[in-house]
Amino acid sequence: MLGLGPADWQAIELTFRLCLYTTIILLILATPVAWWLANGRSAARVAVQAIVALPLVLPPTVLGFYLLIVLGPRGFVGGTLEAIGLHHLAFTFEGILVASVLYSMPFAVQPLTEAFKNLGRRPVEVASSLGAGLWDRFFTVILPLTRGGFVVAATLTFAHTVGEFGVILMLGGSIPGETKVLSVLIYDHAEAMNYEAAHRLSAMLLVFAFFTLFVVYSITRRFEVAKV
Amino acid sequence: MTLAVRACLDRVGFTLDVDIELPLEGVTSLFGRSGCGKTTLLRIIAGLEKVRGAEVLFGRQIWQQGRHFVPLHRRRIGLVFQEHSLLPHLSVHGNLLYGYKRTPKDLRRLHLREATDMLGIGDLLDRPIDQLSGGQRQRVSLGRALLTSPQLLLLDEPLAALDTQTKREIMPFLSRMASEAGVPIVLVTHAPDEVERLADRVVFMRDGRVDRSEPLRQALARPDSPLFADEGAASVLEGALGPANERGLRPFGSEGSRLWLLSGGTAPDGQTTRVRILARDVSLALDDPCRISIQNHLKVRVERVDKPRGGRCVVATRTADGQLLLSEVTPWAVDQLALQPGTAVYALIKSVALMS
Amino acid sequence: MRSPILLVLATVAMAFAQVTHADRFTVAAASDLRFALDEIAEIYRHQHPDHEFSIVYGSSGKMTTQIINGAPYDVFFSADIAFPERLREAGFTATEPDVYAIGRIVIWSNTLDASELRLEDLPADRRIRRIAIAQPSHAPYGLRAQEAMESAGIWDAVQPRLVFGENIAHAAQMVESGAANVGIIALSLAKFPSLARHPFHLIDDQLHNPLTQAYVVTRRAGNNEAAKTFARFMETEKAYEIMERYGFVIPAREWEG
Repeated sequence: MLGLGPADWQAIELTFRLCLYTTIILLILATPVAWWLANGRSAARVAVQAIVALPLVLPPTVLGFYLLIVLGPRGFVGGTLEAIGLHHLAFTFEGILVASVLYSMPFAVQPLTEAFKNLGRRPVEVASSLGAGLWDRFFTVILPLTRGGFVVAATLTFAHTVGEFGVILMLGGSIPGETKVLSVLIYDHAEAMNYEAAHRLSAMLLVFAFFTLFVVYSITRRFEVAKV
Repeated sequence: MTLAVRACLDRVGFTLDVDIELPLEGVTSLFGRSGCGKTTLLRIIAGLEKVRGAEVLFGRQIWQQGRHFVPLHRRRIGLVFQEHSLLPHLSVHGNLLYGYKRTPKDLRRLHLREATDMLGIGDLLDRPIDQLSGGQRQRVSLGRALLTSPQLLLLDEPLAALDTQTKREIMPFLSRMASEAGVPIVLVTHAPDEVERLADRVVFMRDGRVDRSEPLRQALARPDSPLFADEGAASVLEGALGPANERGLRPFGSEGSRLWLLSGGTAPDGQTTRVRILARDVSLALDDPCRISIQNHLKVRVERVDKPRGGRCVVATRTADGQLLLSEVTPWAVDQLALQPGTAVYALIKSVALMS
Repeated sequence: MRSPILLVLATVAMAFAQVTHADRFTVAAASDLRFALDEIAEIYRHQHPDHEFSIVYGSSGKMTTQIINGAPYDVFFSADIAFPERLREAGFTATEPDVYAIGRIVIWSNTLDASELRLEDLPADRRIRRIAIAQPSHAPYGLRAQEAMESAGIWDAVQPRLVFGENIAHAAQMVESGAANVGIIALSLAKFPSLARHPFHLIDDQLHNPLTQAYVVTRRAGNNEAAKTFARFMETEKAYEIMERYGFVIPAREWEG
């Protein structure tokens, strides 16, 4: 199909899985963080904001390097895992999943923070006064009123994870079916001078990226229009 | 039963230091200029502001003490905010029932029909909330809060964002609610007329501290009352409204101290209401003039003549049914009429000043 | 209200559940083997259809670092015996490094007739603006290219024109795409059909240390018979044939002949 070989399909499946898990995990993690950033008063807020935005300005290699050290067999996390009889995380799918979650963090946290800021505290205070507990408030007030923010956060996180390369190359090697995602496979195809395969996958990603941004901008636009 | 609050808060440019105990009956007004800490105090009572070391005791319920903290959704408080705070993704109906549905059945004292009747919002139920006027929105907010059958109602400047016309439209609903809902109300406001019409008790706040907490009667009897700072002295008369006569005027108060009101609002006949009369709208005469455009003449007795301030004297008088009525006259008039405690005079009140 | 979250967590947890397969292994190989080893693997796959394996190519130095950091490679084919030696010393191997071939380097170009080019000519040739080599710090072919140019006395002169590939296949790709005018690449790559359309110049192997290629089975594959079978397959007649076709010198054959 589409002239893609089994290795291509394997990478597509792997990339999709990585992006899906990253998006789900990040939406769960980013929601409380973004809420706190939007509504908190603590002085630590600025510091956390800066930490969350770090992957935007850091070379992916820096993140990849430190993750390799921390998640590898001799690192704090990897070593601990080995000590309790589990496997360390370098060069594994779980490892690049951790990397993706960190690397795409700003793309989930920032749209949500923005959405929560626009929402303000009032609707939530109102819901509390009407007897709604935490989860109740989240599902009946916050979620319906910040839907757009969640869609943008999910789309950007997914798309940005698809585009991840440097971190995965450093932390994941390029093991087929485990860490060889689309971007790495394209690099590999190009290095093998298999230009046709590289081109096919690249064109696919190009269309995907355009479509994603198109969706994101139409959502943001719809929300702007709705506000007027 | 009392509501006791103790809180100390020190933020950049703002401090709060309160220790008060309020009786849990009728309407208590937190009154003061913006920035005096009254909204913060209200938020502490609600549990929206978690101030360390604060103590909030509602009757025998401990809402906050030490590490113990009951979150707002378990306090059973009705909250109404200044600006419109309806949930935009729900209709009027959805908003009204949001809290009702979350109130245990055996605790519900009020049902949809009664609330919509009391607030006159029965026709709005299916409207999306962006098609409501400001006044309608506030009425829906009030109804929504009432439908949770709260044990305490907190109103944070509920009229401040409304224009004068809309305020007039809502005021009767508020006073009706205060007397009918049977729930203690804490009302935050910076408008003296709201205090005078609604409150039974006033807590004066300034710079994050409580200056004084006293019954409204007492607050109105003080010539230096902060309530008089902007519009001058005013009095509040309480009485029952009668049916409108052929000219559309409604009688107010008992025989002997009857007033005719140009607009009696929508309050039903026989209902006790308040009217607010600015002292400068009250003139005094030794005889009862009959050939005069002013309709409302009350026979009163001078109780006190205050020292002149800014070229004016406030003369405190008692009506036939014993209520306090203030009049503002020039010192010259005081001398001319030889006003002193005990003098019987006629108070002439322009009926236009009596809109309730 | 909590159940959707539990569902999501369960899904995520399932991602962590790993399926392990007995006859599975991963091969790490130096980039000069990219085409030769693919062909060999093809034949091996036919003979052992039950073995599931994949090959990852890269620079020998980088892969050594990865193995030290826990990369799940079972057999490592290095372009330079120094790297497997280092792994053995650090205790990351299950077997002694075994030499399987000697590599050679060539001058190759996509636009010029490389057979007429000599190392000494490179600095003076005005047609040559970019020369691609592999990164000498971690790619053995890059280091040998540097040694050869040093011996030829042109290393300093070519400095401003050098571009570095991440590994030798990357360097070859730079030349193939025309981004670099010439490159010093592995003979095994220059013999790949799509590159063999253009001639090459074989660099005298007296100018650099030998590219002694060796493999090891890593510590983690100590009990992986499938991985060991694959490693031994490199020393069969079929594999030699292919390796020689790609220009590798096979020491075992030299001794026989």
